[in-house]
Amino acid sequence: MIELSHVSKRFGDETAVDDISFRVPKGKFCALVGTSGCGKSTTLRMINRLIEHSEGDIILDGQAIDVYDPVKLRRRIGYVIQHTGLFPHWTVARNIGLVPRLLKWSAADVQSRVAELMHLLSLPVDEFAHKYPHQLSGGQAQRVGVARALAADPDILLMDEPFGALDPITREKLQDELAKLQSRLHKTVLFVTHDMDEALKLADHLVVMREGRIVQQGSPLGLLQNPVDPFVESLLGGLERGLKQASLTRVKDHMTSMGPTLPAQSRIPGTFSLRQALSMMLRDHSDRLTVVDQHDVPVGELSLRRIIKEAQLDNGNPRE
Amino acid sequence: MGTRVSNSLSVAPPHKKAPPWLWPLLWGVLLLVSVVAMPIAESLFRWIEPDARQVIYDRAELYVLLGRHLFVVGIAAVVTIIVGVAAGIAVTRRWGGDFLPLVAQLASLGQTFPPVAVLALAVPVLGFGTLPIIVALMLYGLLPIVRNTLAGLQGVEGEIKMAAHAMGMTPTQILRQVELPLAAPVILAGIRTSVTINIATAALGATVGASNLGDPIISGIVNGNMAYVLQGALTIALLALTVDSLFELLQRQLRSRISDS
Repeated sequence: MIELSHVSKRFGDETAVDDISFRVPKGKFCALVGTSGCGKSTTLRMINRLIEHSEGDIILDGQAIDVYDPVKLRRRIGYVIQHTGLFPHWTVARNIGLVPRLLKWSAADVQSRVAELMHLLSLPVDEFAHKYPHQLSGGQAQRVGVARALAADPDILLMDEPFGALDPITREKLQDELAKLQSRLHKTVLFVTHDMDEALKLADHLVVMREGRIVQQGSPLGLLQNPVDPFVESLLGGLERGLKQASLTRVKDHMTSMGPTLPAQSRIPGTFSLRQALSMMLRDHSDRLTVVDQHDVPVGELSLRRIIKEAQLDNGNPRE
Repeated sequence: MGTRVSNSLSVAPPHKKAPPWLWPLLWGVLLLVSVVAMPIAESLFRWIEPDARQVIYDRAELYVLLGRHLFVVGIAAVVTIIVGVAAGIAVTRRWGGDFLPLVAQLASLGQTFPPVAVLALAVPVLGFGTLPIIVALMLYGLLPIVRNTLAGLQGVEGEIKMAAHAMGMTPTQILRQVELPLAAPVILAGIRTSVTINIATAALGATVGASNLGDPIISGIVNGNMAYVLQGALTIALLALTVDSLFELLQRQLRSRISDS
């Protein structure tokens, strides 16, 4: 668990982070969102003591971070940054094995852990283990960055705009993989991004920062339904807010269940979002879709009226 | 994306190139021939100096002079590398940052001071012989090493150093495993410049009684014997070329290990 209470950071006269408090419960994914210069990266770096905080308490698993030796603390915390920071003179395998080697694991343990992680991040060992970072594409390099952060199996993972420099397609793919990875590994993740869509997609908890302060925090749906001020609302996409909300809701939660005999119309898997359903309706000029399960067997129906009505319901009683 | 290969190195055309060790070997052999078998070329030197009583320098064997020359340059190089690299490392650490401008200035001062002047100043203090020339070479060779050590270490991307910190490496581990290996090609280039310059500069030692490959040159100038001058100059040039091409070989190997595109 990561817990910050009344944490501030001052650089000379300038206050970069001003009295912020939030917590990331064990196994949860928290996104720090804000425009550049709002103090979100500074906040992240205070947690692994790359930057020392000026005031307040930062507590990891019940212990204030000040009592740890910074070097040992960092070896327990995974850290991923935008341009990967991979060592250009080391192979992929050596880069990934860095922290286990620092922790003095045996060579055999390091090797098997590296292979395990490469497998986990879909980097075939034979193809990639001996490559150098400059021989990788942006997406591959970032996978190596994530593998390196996970190498010593830390409970806590800090990610500083890890996908910010990638092209949209690669970014989306890696976001999906990270979500899948998180559903298996249940790390306590603090994720910094300026991309609200990314935050909405991945996080259980959002913390919106502006000029060093927290303006609002809460669940993605909670924020979408009740943004506290125009700034948060504009971050959430203004008029697009409705669509963003729809993209967080799954089709199967809103369909009308029906038997397997349904009229011929476009089919949508129940795991897709309402946003995708709306898009499909617009594309196919229809106001009804057949919902199917993973075996393509019809299980229900979703109508435009129902989507709109559900949105009303959601807004009436926000679900936390 | 799993199959995307962005490595232009791996598809280099099949192009026959001279092996990299060819040049050091060639210059090295020529150097050896010139120090042991200079008399072979007697007729050539006779043609240059038809009136001289003697055209082949024989007051000392050239290979002995070569050995002394290498000794002087070698001692100076070892000291300069240790001092220069250490100074470069020290002032790029957080605790040594205050001394960065001072060290950079001292090192450039060393090079603006002509070696002859250093010799003139050093002889009264250190006496005649090998010591003053070693001191002069050390001062003169320090700048390229300090400058390149600074450039190399400062050239390591901040993000890589930050990542190294964030992974839990200690400052010593970062220096040894990350900064120095990444700066090595630039530092080596500085050492190469320093040593190559000093091979030529060391010849001045002959003027203060440090016998080395400068002897035939000085003696040739004093006696008006161009053949002596040529023999000394030729041997020094071949030595410089040999050492320089050895450094080239070393740098090439380093680069192929640390190739950041």
